[in-house]
Amino acid sequence: MSGGRKLKLGLFLQGAGHHIHGWRYKDAQSGSENFELIKRLAQTAERAKLDMVFLADGLTTSPDHAASVVTRFEPITLVAALAAVTSRIGLAVTASTTYYEPFNLARLLASVDQLSNGRAAWNVVTTSSLEAAENFSRQKEEHPEHSERYERAAEFVEVVKGLWDSWEPNPYKIDKATGEYIDKRKLHELNHVGKFFSVKGPLSVTQSPQGHPVVIQAGSSEPGQELAARIGELVFTAQQSFEDARAFYAGLKGRLPKYGRLPDHVHILPGLFPVIGATEKEAKEKYEELQSFIDDSRAYDALEERFQYDLREYSLDEPVPDIPESSGRKSRPQLLLKLARDKGLTLRQLYREVAGARGHRIVVGTPLQLADHIQKWFDGYAADGFNLMPPYVPGGFDDFVQGVIPELQNRGLFRTEYEGSTLRENLGLPRPINRHTRVSAR
Amino acid sequence: MGRQRQMILNFFMNSTGFHETAWRLPSAEPEGVTQLSLYKKMTLIAEQAKFHTVFLADAYELGEKVKHQALSRLEPYTLLSALAAVTERIGLVATVSTSYTEPYHTARLFASLDHLSGGRAGWNIVTTGIGNTHLNFGRERNYEHAERYQRAMEFVQLAGKLWDSWEDEALLFDKARGLYADDERIHAVRHKSRSFSVEGPLNLPRPPQGYPVLAQAGSSEDGKELAAQIGELIYTAQQTMKDAKAFYADVKSRAERYGRNPEHIKIVPGFSVIVGATESEAREKEAELRESIIPELGLHRLSKRLKVDLFSYPLDGPVPELPDPSTINENRSRFELMKTMIESEKLTIRQLIERVSGGNGHRTFAGTAVQVADELEEWFTGEACDGFVIRPQALPAGIDDFARLVVPELQRRGLFHTEYAGATLRENLGLPRPANQYAARRGEERGVQPV
Repeated sequence: MSGGRKLKLGLFLQGAGHHIHGWRYKDAQSGSENFELIKRLAQTAERAKLDMVFLADGLTTSPDHAASVVTRFEPITLVAALAAVTSRIGLAVTASTTYYEPFNLARLLASVDQLSNGRAAWNVVTTSSLEAAENFSRQKEEHPEHSERYERAAEFVEVVKGLWDSWEPNPYKIDKATGEYIDKRKLHELNHVGKFFSVKGPLSVTQSPQGHPVVIQAGSSEPGQELAARIGELVFTAQQSFEDARAFYAGLKGRLPKYGRLPDHVHILPGLFPVIGATEKEAKEKYEELQSFIDDSRAYDALEERFQYDLREYSLDEPVPDIPESSGRKSRPQLLLKLARDKGLTLRQLYREVAGARGHRIVVGTPLQLADHIQKWFDGYAADGFNLMPPYVPGGFDDFVQGVIPELQNRGLFRTEYEGSTLRENLGLPRPINRHTRVSAR
Repeated sequence: MGRQRQMILNFFMNSTGFHETAWRLPSAEPEGVTQLSLYKKMTLIAEQAKFHTVFLADAYELGEKVKHQALSRLEPYTLLSALAAVTERIGLVATVSTSYTEPYHTARLFASLDHLSGGRAGWNIVTTGIGNTHLNFGRERNYEHAERYQRAMEFVQLAGKLWDSWEDEALLFDKARGLYADDERIHAVRHKSRSFSVEGPLNLPRPPQGYPVLAQAGSSEDGKELAAQIGELIYTAQQTMKDAKAFYADVKSRAERYGRNPEHIKIVPGFSVIVGATESEAREKEAELRESIIPELGLHRLSKRLKVDLFSYPLDGPVPELPDPSTINENRSRFELMKTMIESEKLTIRQLIERVSGGNGHRTFAGTAVQVADELEEWFTGEACDGFVIRPQALPAGIDDFARLVVPELQRRGLFHTEYAGATLRENLGLPRPANQYAARRGEERGVQPV
C-alpha cells in the first residue's frame, strides 16, 4: 500500500449506543454507567487494534435528553479505570475549557496519561449549552458567547500545555546517597498571566512517555477550524458527503503551513454511523427497525436542542425553513441545514435523520460495502480515518469488528498489530519538544 | 454476648511512605511514583488484609523542597478510578478540596467513582488554606479560615442535593415502552446560597451508596463542627490517648447535638507505625529512617508551619517560643497540637525534626506486631477511637509488614474482621445509606408518611 499511510480508527463510546433509541434494539445492552459493558467494548476495540476509544461529554442533563446522553460516567474517571484493564489502546476524553480550571484539568489529564503509560488524548471543546452556566454558579446570560469561548479555549490550552511542560523529560536524580530526588533545573514554574487566567505552576505530575496527551479538536466552525489547525492533532468532524469531506479535509490541511505544521501531523476523522447486515437487505431492515422506535413527539424538542431555535410554529411535514444562527453551536446546524436542502427534507425527516446519528454520516450495508465506503473516503483524501459510532452496543460494534476490520486489514488499509506503545507512536504523531528543553538546547 | 466491636483500618497511601525521606531507603521504589503498578501492588496487599479503605491525600500545588522529596504524584480521582478496576472490596477515599473546585464537577467525579467501583467511594472533604495554592487559580490569596468552612458546608450540602437529583429507581430501561428514565424521579436542585448557585440535575444517576462516605479531617473548632454535622469518617492527629479520648467524646457529643447517632460517625486517628519481626528489628528500621533525614528539609518545613525562622537557632537547642494559635490561618489544629507537644516534651529542634519527619504530628510508634497490636487495642477499647489510619513510614515495605504481621494478630484477638461485611464501603463501615431528600419530599406530597 502507498506510502505507509494507515487508516486511523476510533470507537466513539456511548453506553446506550448512538442511535437515539438504539438501546431498545433486541440485542442491545444499555447503561451509560455500566462499567462492565464499557470495559468489554474497550477490550474488544483493543483486540481489533483500534487507535482509541473516544468519550464525549456534557455538563448538563434533563429527563428530555436522549438515552445516550441523559446519563454518563464522568469521562476522565472512566478512562482512568479503562487504563487499568487495557494496555495498548488510546483513551480520549472530552473536557470543556469553558467551565474547568486549567490547573485542575491539566493535572487530571496528565495523571491519566501517566496511569496509561502514554495513551491519553484530550478532545478540547467549548461548552455551547447555555444551561451549563447554571450548573456553575452563573446565569444563562453570563454564558460566554462563541468568539469569547474560543478565545478562552486558546488561552486555556496554552496554560495546560505550559503546565505539562513543568517537568522536562527524565527529571529524576533519585540519588539515595546524596538525598537528591530531582534535578531542580528540570522543573519550571509557568507564571502565566493572561486575559482569562493567571497560573503560577508548576504542575505536580511529571510527563508520560508521550510528552503531552494527544490533542483532539472537534469544532468545525471557522474559529473551530482555526483552533484545529493551530493545536489539533486529531480532528473529529461531522461530514455527510464525500465532496464536502474532501473540501473540509483540503481546507483544514491547507491552514497548517501558516502554523508551521505538517499535513501528516493532523489526522482528520469524520464520524461514521455503521448499520451492518450480512446482506444489504438485512442491514436496511435493521436500520428500519431502529428508525421505527423513533417517537415523533420529541421532534420539536430535539430540533430545538440542535438549532437552539423554537420551530413549533412550523408543521413537521413542511420543508425545513430558514433558521437563524445562534451563539451556541455553529457548524452542526449549518451541516444539518445543508443536508436538508440537498435532500429536500421536511422537519420530520430531518429529525429522524438526526435521531439516528446527530448529523454524522450513516452507512447502511454489508461489511464489504462499509469497507468500500471507508476506502473511498480514505483513498480520496476525504478522511484519514473514522470515529465509529455504533447505533447500539455491544452488537452494533461487534458486527463492525467481526466483519469490517478483517476486510480493511486484507486490503492493507488497517494495522494488524500496534506499531508502538504510546498513542502518539500508533498515530505516527511526533512527541512535543518540551519548551524548556528547547531553550536550554539552543 | 453481642458481637465484639471491631476496629476500622484505613491505609493511608502515598508513593514512598510518610517519613519524608523514606525514599532513600533501599526498599523504597522512588522510580515508581507515577506508575500504576506500585499503587496497585500496595492496594492489593491492603485489600487482601481486609483494610476498609485506601486513602489518598492531595494538594493543588507542587509544594516546595522538591529537590529532596518524592513530591510528584498522581491525581487521586484518576488513580482511584484505575484501582477501582483492579480491586473488588476495598474502599477508595480521595481527598478533594472545596476551596478550588466546582461543586458540580466534584459531585460528578465522586458519583462516577462510586459507580465505577460499585459503591466503594469516599470523599475526604478538606479546605485549602495552605501555601501558594491561590496562585494556581488566579486568586490574590487563599480563602480565610471562616470563609473556607462556610464554603465547605454549602459545598457539601449542594453535593448532597446533586447526588439526590436522581432517585434510586430513576432508570427504567423499559425497551417495550421505550422508557429509559422516569422523568418524575429526576429533579432539578435549584440551589442558591452565598457561594454557589446550581440548577442541576447531575448528569449521572444516584451513586450506589447514595452518597460516597464523607470523611473529614479538621480538628479546629470549625473543623469539629463540620465533622459533627456531616462527617462520617473522621481523621485526626492525636499524640496521647488522653487527648484522643477527649476528642472522641467531644466530636461524638457534638454529633448527638445535631441529632445524629454517634455510632454513625467513626473517629480514626493516624498512627505512623514501624513494625519489625522483633523489637530490635523495629528499632533498626527506626534508626535507618532517622539517618535518612535531611535537617535542612525539616527546618524549612517547620519554619513555615510554626511561623518562626528556625534556621537562626542551634539545631540541638530548644525550640523558640511560638506565636499565638489564633494568629494562624493554615491548619490551625495541627499547629496547636505541635505547640503543645513541643512545650510539654521540651523538644530540641533536632528532636522535633525527627519526630515530625515521620509522623507529621501523628502518633508515631515502632515495635513488634504484638506491641503495635497492644497499643491499638488499648486506644480502641479505651474509647479513644473507632479504628485507625495506618500511615506506614516507609512504603511499599510498611504496608506489607503491617498486613503480614499486625493484621493477623488483631484478627486473632477478635479486634479486626476477617472478611468484608458487605459490598459497599458504607456497609463495611456500618454506616447508613442516606435517604433521598427528593424521594422523601415526593412521598410526602402524595400523603405518604416517612417511616
